[in-house]
Amino acid sequence: MRDVFKSAGIIIISFCAVFVCTLFLNYNIDLKSAEGLIFQEDAQYFYHAQIMTGKMVSALSGGCLLLTSAVMLCFYIGHYIDTHSKSLGILKAMGYSAGRLACSFAGFGLSVFTGTGLGYAGAHIIMPQFYKTQNKEGLLPEIHIHFHPALLLALVVLPTLAFCLLSVLYGRLRLKAPVLELLKGRSSSKIKVAKSTGTAKAGRELPFLQELRSSVLRQRKSLVFFIGFASFCYAAMMQMSFSMDELASRMMALMILLIGIVLSFVTLFLATTSAVKANWKTLAVMRALGYPDRECSSSVLGGYRLPACIGFALGTVYQYVLLQIAVTVVFRDVENMPEFHFDVPALVVALISFTALYELILHAYARKIRRMSIREVMLDED
Amino acid sequence: MIKMEDIRKSYGPQDNRFEVLKGISLTVEDGDFLVLLGASGSGKSTLLNVASGLEYPDSGKILYDGEDIAALSDEERTRFRKEKTAFIFQQYYLLPHLNVEQNVKMGADLASNKDYRKTIEAVGLAEKRAKYPHELSGGEQQRVAVARALAKKPEVLFLDEPTGALDETTGRQVLDYIDRLQKELGFTIIMVTHNANIADMAKTVLRMNSGKIVEAWQNESQKTAYEIGW
Repeated sequence: MRDVFKSAGIIIISFCAVFVCTLFLNYNIDLKSAEGLIFQEDAQYFYHAQIMTGKMVSALSGGCLLLTSAVMLCFYIGHYIDTHSKSLGILKAMGYSAGRLACSFAGFGLSVFTGTGLGYAGAHIIMPQFYKTQNKEGLLPEIHIHFHPALLLALVVLPTLAFCLLSVLYGRLRLKAPVLELLKGRSSSKIKVAKSTGTAKAGRELPFLQELRSSVLRQRKSLVFFIGFASFCYAAMMQMSFSMDELASRMMALMILLIGIVLSFVTLFLATTSAVKANWKTLAVMRALGYPDRECSSSVLGGYRLPACIGFALGTVYQYVLLQIAVTVVFRDVENMPEFHFDVPALVVALISFTALYELILHAYARKIRRMSIREVMLDED
Repeated sequence: MIKMEDIRKSYGPQDNRFEVLKGISLTVEDGDFLVLLGASGSGKSTLLNVASGLEYPDSGKILYDGEDIAALSDEERTRFRKEKTAFIFQQYYLLPHLNVEQNVKMGADLASNKDYRKTIEAVGLAEKRAKYPHELSGGEQQRVAVARALAKKPEVLFLDEPTGALDETTGRQVLDYIDRLQKELGFTIIMVTHNANIADMAKTVLRMNSGKIVEAWQNESQKTAYEIGW
């Protein structure tokens, strides 16, 4: 049950992906069926723009979110195997095959079913309002909501089966490790050895904390990715929602904003949690030796600030380029399309709110580190 | 000098507390080599944790040159550990992704010790300073832990079953390094062990049972790591 709760990230992300895709694709299919009823030129432009928007939003948001879910799923399974490697090693030593053990990981795919199922249902609840908003100018004939079984299959059933399969295959791959390696815990072969740096070669020494910080980042590249990705999502979605307010509708802006915040918060929270948990023993030893709490938390968490900044910058550029392309290429024939400029106030709001959120999470973990019992960590090891 | 007065410590829920330390009082002179002997569950490791400032006692005083560390805040105790103590654990607790030199530097940086390479040489690991823990034997890993502890130039070195995970030859070797370095540098040693033979190396020996000190004696002469039984 605890592990299912831990996969809340996948549930939330797959919920967002299917929610968005169901809304837009269902609308697109229903809108297409009304194509023969649209005769006026401006209505046709509007129709094509909406079809294009639906495709773009579904492909970009849905695709990106599903891809993130897949990466996150593999990350979860890897993390689960790392933390339960001794038990899994014992089971393997007793004669259970990697394949048989991996079959139990199909349960991780069920978290995708929960997310996609809820997303599908949620989209249908909000659909009448969405259809109304999409055609609030009344340019199009009235679009009625229809149930499309193909969407249920493509957005709920198939992703669930695919994720179940992915869980089993990835689990099997990881469990192929030799029994002794599993029994010893996180395999020593996974320790990423530092290449000698320019400064080291030149004989210049780095302080221990600086070496530790870069080593922590080197060991957990997936966490660096997740923190960068979380910042990317936040920057892109938050700023995009401001622009969507002008370019599209308030509802779409709100949707993008909510998805962006949920996605980045969940990713950021899970990545930070994993960063702290992965370094729990390092922190305990550091505290036992007498490193102050501030230095302990900054050596483990502070290193992620740079990837967060890079992610934020990339997200800002990404949303600007994407909307610029949308305005100048995709919707160039649409009349009354407002001019699109880089939104500086949106950047400021996104930056300030993101910094506050990021620092809040780091602060919460710094507090947790301060409260950790060195004895309990040491006993846990034994 | 370390002086402990009526130290008590319990674990467990309020309605079912288990008293691990039942009013321990003792004095450790500067430069002493003190061994805490006792069976598993006698409370010796808890006493070590409390004496070193890793844990708070429920009551009692732990005076280091007159300063009661039981009354210090968490931050102050961290500073105390930084300035005065070092630890060697049974499970080494080296950072797996850092090499020997970086692990030793972890201790050295706290004392602004730039000569930590000499400590690595002193424990016979000069040739292996670029190796990572998983590339070392158990004995070598424990010697890295010894170097890490001594590189921070402690006044008191706490050892919790330092040879518990080692075979006899390696165990003697590690003890010999610690013994020789203590004679050279003069720090105080407080070591927990269940191996009664190791007590022959100590100046002062305390035997614990059920949270109390049941026996205490001073050795007239201290044996070396290669003279004791195993």
